[in-house]
Amino acid sequence: MTRRRSAAALALALIVAGCAPDSGKGAGGPPAATVGGNARIAVPRPGPPGEWPMPGGDYSNSRYSELADITAANATKLQVAWAMSTGVLRGHEGQPLVIDNTMYLVTPFPNVAYAVDLATPGQPLKWRFRPENAQAAAGRACCDVVNRGAAYADGTIFYNLLDGHTVAVDAKTGEQKWRTRMGDVSLGETITMAPIVVKGKVIVGSSGGEMGVRGWLGALDVKTGKVLWRAYNVGPDKDMLIDSSFRPFYAHDKGANLGVTSWVGDSWKRGGGVSWGWVSYDPALNLVYYGTSNPGPWNEGMRPGDNKWTCAILARDADTGALKWVFQVTPHDMWDYDGVNENILVDLEVNGAARKALVHFDRNGFAYTIDRATGEVLVAEPFVHVNWARGIDMKTGRPILNPDKLTGEGKLVKEICPSLEGGKNQQPAAFSPQTGLFYVPTVNLCMDFKVRPVSYIPGTPYIGADAPERLGAGGFGGEFIAWDASNGKKLWGIKEPFPLWSGVLVTAGGVAFYGTLDGWFKAVDARTGAPLWKFKVGSGVVGNPITYRGPDGKQYVAVYAGIGGDMGLLIAGDVAANLPYDVRERGTTLPDLAKWTSWGGELFVFAIP
Amino acid sequence: MTAASRHRVAAWVPALALVALTAAVTLALARRGGISAVEAAPSYVPLTARDALARPEPAGPDSIRFVEHPDVYPVGWPSTGIPLALANPYERNATALATGARLYVAYNCIDCHGADGSGSMGPSLADGRWHFGGRPAEVFESIYQGRPDGMPAWGGRISNDQIWMLVAYVRSLNGGRDVSTANFTGLKSRTVERSGH
Repeated sequence: MTRRRSAAALALALIVAGCAPDSGKGAGGPPAATVGGNARIAVPRPGPPGEWPMPGGDYSNSRYSELADITAANATKLQVAWAMSTGVLRGHEGQPLVIDNTMYLVTPFPNVAYAVDLATPGQPLKWRFRPENAQAAAGRACCDVVNRGAAYADGTIFYNLLDGHTVAVDAKTGEQKWRTRMGDVSLGETITMAPIVVKGKVIVGSSGGEMGVRGWLGALDVKTGKVLWRAYNVGPDKDMLIDSSFRPFYAHDKGANLGVTSWVGDSWKRGGGVSWGWVSYDPALNLVYYGTSNPGPWNEGMRPGDNKWTCAILARDADTGALKWVFQVTPHDMWDYDGVNENILVDLEVNGAARKALVHFDRNGFAYTIDRATGEVLVAEPFVHVNWARGIDMKTGRPILNPDKLTGEGKLVKEICPSLEGGKNQQPAAFSPQTGLFYVPTVNLCMDFKVRPVSYIPGTPYIGADAPERLGAGGFGGEFIAWDASNGKKLWGIKEPFPLWSGVLVTAGGVAFYGTLDGWFKAVDARTGAPLWKFKVGSGVVGNPITYRGPDGKQYVAVYAGIGGDMGLLIAGDVAANLPYDVRERGTTLPDLAKWTSWGGELFVFAIP
Repeated sequence: MTAASRHRVAAWVPALALVALTAAVTLALARRGGISAVEAAPSYVPLTARDALARPEPAGPDSIRFVEHPDVYPVGWPSTGIPLALANPYERNATALATGARLYVAYNCIDCHGADGSGSMGPSLADGRWHFGGRPAEVFESIYQGRPDGMPAWGGRISNDQIWMLVAYVRSLNGGRDVSTANFTGLKSRTVERSGH
């Protein structure tokens, strides 16, 4: 980011918000002490810093805000400013958007959208949009009926429905502009991810990796909803939009139709590799980045081979969808280590050289710093306890496997770490250019793994394994860590009793925010990790905090409270008081979580009065 | 709809396209009347008690997709038409229970409803509480015609005989207990091992 652009953005914010300048240091101010050189956000946020215009805050997915009224010195004074029920009691992953003094929220299934007027006391609705959404989708989604948020462009809100549709809704009126069927829910193809808008296209990816579907990423015309391109993540080069411009970095990733030949028979057709995570975009390279899920089924003996391109990071041309490079993080996955976690685009130094990088904290427990122009792995170090691999071979980028932790026919493999929930799951990390650090919400679970035969039956799960989980060494469930991606080192961590399933926000005020499954919303010092403040919200937090400047000039921080997602199914599915026909006995994973929280569906907004 | 066509739809066909590496247990089940993996969808067919108890017959329409249960019952939507008091011919039949347990795995019920019916993507089947009724005929109907939240309709895909064995197994899961909603903060209550997805 240049100082000039930052200043322009700040000036625009002042015009729009009509408020005083930010008191703290914005990205345009003098840089604070950093680790690992002058790391900076590759693609700064468009528009005013007081808005939250896209799921990750910016195209880099940094989840960093230049707002600095709330600081490490005054965060202890935070109080609830207002709260709002979404009317839905399921896992509230994702985050709202704030544009032009209006907040836009999307609920879990049935995926109701709300526009909230921030300029009027009491925050009345401007509109509510309840889409048509097939009821059957509720039982076809693997991991609760979540939705990870909306995108905004050209006066329109875009988001995905669990039943496989993408919708466009007029941001002023709440009227549906178009609706496109992207997935076939009868096959178990659902959509939970938050789209992004790039150059007039809505970028959308599929869910259903546990249902034997074949994953894809698609681009829809923002005006009409027409599908401009659709690229499969598995299958022949033609389906994958691979042409002569495809240049993977590693030799073993070069060759024709590897999306077919790295499978046995036609197993690729039901091989998973869906794209349910976050999408990043680099306008200078014109590349969109995203990850792909586990291969199906989990029973690895049914699909010998690398199973390309499941558990991979892909870079595609934003205009055509053509695949430019791919890096398979976990070849022939046999632990359900989806590669869908966010790719944070940052320019930083590695071994003294400036690199255009993406930083990715994978389910498999390794943190990767990768050259985002070429796909070369620059740094790969474990960020949690890992025992399935001894490390990453830096010549090939491939994991050095631990033979004791290979799953397969006739074996009960014990104590594999991390568990299938990963060292980190969908909950996104954040990056601060002030500290040069990544703030990562991690999970400390291990699992046993036993495969069983499975038939492909369309519309039913295609899994073929049992994998009970329990807390890893140390007896804590998760840890909030600060990570130096130039050197692959953890600087500090805050242990939590339960796995972390909430994303992170970090601000120019030097404060990092995150929530916990047991319902605490916390602020910590971004430099030291010192706890500053916490508040017990109405339900476990699996959503991602955001910050915005209100029409009154104040900085607000907002987050959903509503336990759920895969963790919620495991450990909180048994506490819904209004489902007399669905009483589940306590899970062994976290048996006492129900003492601390219950289902919810609320937005909490905080400010310093 | 003639009785003959009803029989055809409700009949079973041998497994045609099981995955090459699917193990012997599934193949063994397929020989008894397994999953068909084939093309067009069968239409919904109401059953009479006689149909529901009919022995499986060979041949039937090919289908690859489930009949989707409608989100909302349209006026005139038929139930299976079988009397709610209809007894399960396999109730408490040990052999049928064991087969039902294997079918529960083979037809992927386990990954929606959890090991031992403890609940996962789909609701618990072991809590002694039933969303759509727990009498044998009601459970049969749930499996046969599907339910709105994503439960596929298995009628016409597997034999009625197998559905009855599944009914027997599913109804055996809670052992007559009613799982209390108040047990979650007590430390002495049972816990079940669960896998995430």
